[in-house]
Amino acid sequence: MAAKKLQIALYWGAACGGCDVAVLDTNEFILDVAAVADVRFWPIAVDGKYSDVEAMSDGELDLALFDGAVRNSENEHVAKLLRAKSKILVAFGSCAYMGGIPGLANLVTKDEILATAYLSNASIEPGNQTVPRARSAVDGMTLEIPSFYRRVYRLQDVVDVDYSVPGCPPAPDQVKAVLLAVVKGELPPRGSVVGASERAVCDDCKRTKSEKKVKSFHRPFEVIQDSSRCLLEQGILCMGSATRSGCGVRCPNSNQGCRGCYGPLPGVSDHGAKFLSALASIVDSKDPKEIEHILDGLPDFTSFAYRFGMPASTLQRSYK
Amino acid sequence: MEELKIGVFICNCGSNIAHHVDVDAVREAVEAKPGVAIARSYKYMCSNPGQDMIARDIREHQLNRVVVAACSPRMHEKTFRNACRNGGLNPYLCEMANIREQCSWVHSDQLAATEKAKALTNAAINRVRYHEPLESLTAEMCPATLVIGGGIAGLTAALELADAAHQVYLVERTATLGGNLARVDLTAPHLDSARDLLTERITRVRANSRITLMLNSELQSLAGYVGNYAAIIRTKNGSGEVQERKVDVGNVVVATGYQEFDAGRITHYGHGKLPNVVTSFEFEQMLRKGRIETRHGKLPQYAAIIHCVGSRNKEFHPYCSRVCCMTALKYAHELKSANPACYVSDIYVDMHAFGKGHEDFYKTTSEVKTLFLMFEKNERPVVRKAGPNDDCEMLIEVNETLSRERIEIPADLIILMVGMEARADSGEVARLVNISQDKEGWFMESHPKLDPVATTTDGIYIAGTCAAPKDIPDTVAQARAAAARILGKIAKGKIEIDGVFAEVNEDRCSGCRMCNELCPYSAIEFNDETRRSHVIPAACKACGACVAACPSGAIKGRHFTVEQLHAQIDGVLA
Amino acid sequence: MSFEPKIVGFLCNWCSYTGADLAGTSRIQYPPNIRVIRVMCSARIEPDFVLRALASGADGVLICGCHPGDCHYSEGNYKAMRRYPLLKRMLKDYGVDNDRVRLEWVSASEGQRFADIVTDMTERVRALGPLRIKTDLQTDMVER
Repeated sequence: MAAKKLQIALYWGAACGGCDVAVLDTNEFILDVAAVADVRFWPIAVDGKYSDVEAMSDGELDLALFDGAVRNSENEHVAKLLRAKSKILVAFGSCAYMGGIPGLANLVTKDEILATAYLSNASIEPGNQTVPRARSAVDGMTLEIPSFYRRVYRLQDVVDVDYSVPGCPPAPDQVKAVLLAVVKGELPPRGSVVGASERAVCDDCKRTKSEKKVKSFHRPFEVIQDSSRCLLEQGILCMGSATRSGCGVRCPNSNQGCRGCYGPLPGVSDHGAKFLSALASIVDSKDPKEIEHILDGLPDFTSFAYRFGMPASTLQRSYK
Repeated sequence: MEELKIGVFICNCGSNIAHHVDVDAVREAVEAKPGVAIARSYKYMCSNPGQDMIARDIREHQLNRVVVAACSPRMHEKTFRNACRNGGLNPYLCEMANIREQCSWVHSDQLAATEKAKALTNAAINRVRYHEPLESLTAEMCPATLVIGGGIAGLTAALELADAAHQVYLVERTATLGGNLARVDLTAPHLDSARDLLTERITRVRANSRITLMLNSELQSLAGYVGNYAAIIRTKNGSGEVQERKVDVGNVVVATGYQEFDAGRITHYGHGKLPNVVTSFEFEQMLRKGRIETRHGKLPQYAAIIHCVGSRNKEFHPYCSRVCCMTALKYAHELKSANPACYVSDIYVDMHAFGKGHEDFYKTTSEVKTLFLMFEKNERPVVRKAGPNDDCEMLIEVNETLSRERIEIPADLIILMVGMEARADSGEVARLVNISQDKEGWFMESHPKLDPVATTTDGIYIAGTCAAPKDIPDTVAQARAAAARILGKIAKGKIEIDGVFAEVNEDRCSGCRMCNELCPYSAIEFNDETRRSHVIPAACKACGACVAACPSGAIKGRHFTVEQLHAQIDGVLA
Repeated sequence: MSFEPKIVGFLCNWCSYTGADLAGTSRIQYPPNIRVIRVMCSARIEPDFVLRALASGADGVLICGCHPGDCHYSEGNYKAMRRYPLLKRMLKDYGVDNDRVRLEWVSASEGQRFADIVTDMTERVRALGPLRIKTDLQTDMVER
């Protein structure tokens, strides 16, 4: 008798689709996956309805990969559904793990977001300003759409998560490794971060590292960089020293500073605060005015430091 | 984690704490906290019975953590760590909560003080859960000593150490030994010759083969830690050439002395304008030459001495310079000896005759017919040039306190008793050896009463006037005390290095190299082969700069870990 | 009943903590709202600690170190001097008023100054009202 195929599901919350594409980026490997697994639910790739998932029994799925953050009631609903129906639930990608780029919305209010999208931007026709509502009456019936939450949540804020795979998106090699581990049943302790190193990007980065003292910060286009030398030493913002490796150093290898998408190192509770501490320490000045001037070279530092992890930070959101 | 058994000891400190903090309420509040095995309050935890109580309770209740809510840890952390050691518990498994200096003594509202004491004790209980047993390390103690300053303090300390058969490097910035004392003729109250005092010292120093004398020299840098310092001394020879020499020492005695207050800053005394207004040191020059005379070469008919020049007022220095009163009386004697017919006025604020023989000296001076006039320290006398019909050079107007009259005193010669102040370069010296200065620039001792020659930096001692104005007996006492402390350390042979330092977890270090330049003690080295950084424990002073800056959180700050501090933060807000 | 702010103070052992002790020995009175946590040097203080305090119920955080040039560890306070302005900018983005987090230099002999700073800060934070981060985060929590 043929071995029972693995039952798997993939879902996208507040997402861009990149993590799903990362799964497809494993190329031929996906065919191997198809050989051993049944994809029971994957909105971006296969037909299916929520009712299909609702009809499953608890634990019927072997693995559910949830990417994207939790932004609205639909995301929460499906998160809870998949938690109940799946033996293993993985927060897949930075959005599910830390809130991701959508998480930066926590710095503004729901009203500000809706106003910008639907009321006051250059591409809205006058007289066509309609803000979506959770419930509306249409042709004598009630139409319900998911309600938009006041803030963004990580997957672990709404359900218990078994494993987290960081990355925006996770590198295809890591995706392969995770899927293989599930197939082989060789999984680390529950709660682990998988598919990432226990050391920072610097460990894998081939650029030379020496004395770190910065007198001014630059945007990458403002200087001709030495591509063999540490970016931070050249005044170019790179969060690699504070970020888990495992991505293959893709950004510094492309002459861009690491943006921190693999999240903080183990034991660090606040990614942006840790990087702030390190970065400010190496500012090469003892004069308060000069220090402020050097820091002016970091416009919008908060959004840089928490680009992928605002909901995971200590304060999680704005309190204006 | 092992099962925690925390003993909480709350000190009443007599009524110091108990008066404002309801210690029983604190005890009740913490008794119920998870992990707390016993909670006691006692009159004086630091007393022998108090310490014995802790040791006994550790053994009887198998306590594995101790919290003492009492005075400041700066007072008694060592005491209670010792008590734990005596009870068989690692001393670092103890934490104090400061409910005296920072609670009962500063908050009179009993309710608020008690709530705060509960919060601080709770925070200590939270923190101590995460404490780990730590062991000290040992290192060698280099028996050589660096003495900075060749005045009476430095000479005394150097001789004390060399006589005990240890190597001393004596560094003096000028070309001669003796410091400020070499500028003085006789010393009060016994009128001995300063030259004789110094000559004896200087001769013995030069003759002692264990003292390496470096004149025209300054300390350039000091690296290392107690028992293992490397000093670089820079010497300038006659033709301006500079030589640098590195010496290894175990300890340093800072004996850099003082400078005198610039009398020109008090304009109405006329120093620098009126030729016959001189400072005490300028008068000493006359005494050494053996000729007391005005600038015009005449014997002064009228002489006046003004006390507290630059001392004891808010405008210049609030402190008393200690030596000037007796020195002023010495001048009165000298003036009368040189010319018995001279009218000597001693214009003072208070007569500080605190020392041995001082009151007797004051009495004998008044017997040589010196006129004593007292003024209020903020109402200074005014000096002006006398008119053509006056039989004196200058007139001094004094609002005399005892008679409540405004008196005019004639003077051909005025001696200003200029106070002592911290040397202009004392800030640099402090930075070089890593000690602190107080508001007035004097070097700070470890404890003003209980530890006057040690500083907060192990291995660096201060002696003499660089620490505060004082006379020769006290200076010599301090110099000998500093030497004795060092001899005690040398006798031990090894030094104990605190078990608190930073540690790099090489499994987590990514070789980013943020830390290496941040350490002011160069205690973090980078290994080019392994591409990892590591801390040299003996050189680490545990400031925590690298711990906070490490972007991977790979550096652990022993005894100040993230877990301990988070627990303390949560505890203080609970 | 007026609002009693909760202020967490991070004081360095050699200067500011000793200065605070001196205020005690001199019996200089100041408001009881501050709770002090001792570190060896202001360089140990990470922005993370400040954020943790604010998220755990503190209405204000006071950081004290030695005066520039006087640090017992030579340059530790310069690290605090560099971190703090960047932290302030970040707190502004989070909507936390800058008066709630303060960096001050207090020497070992400045007991009165410590008391004055605490008094001033307590009143400023009282005027700003409670910082509701802890309660807001609890309200945010999603039922699992």
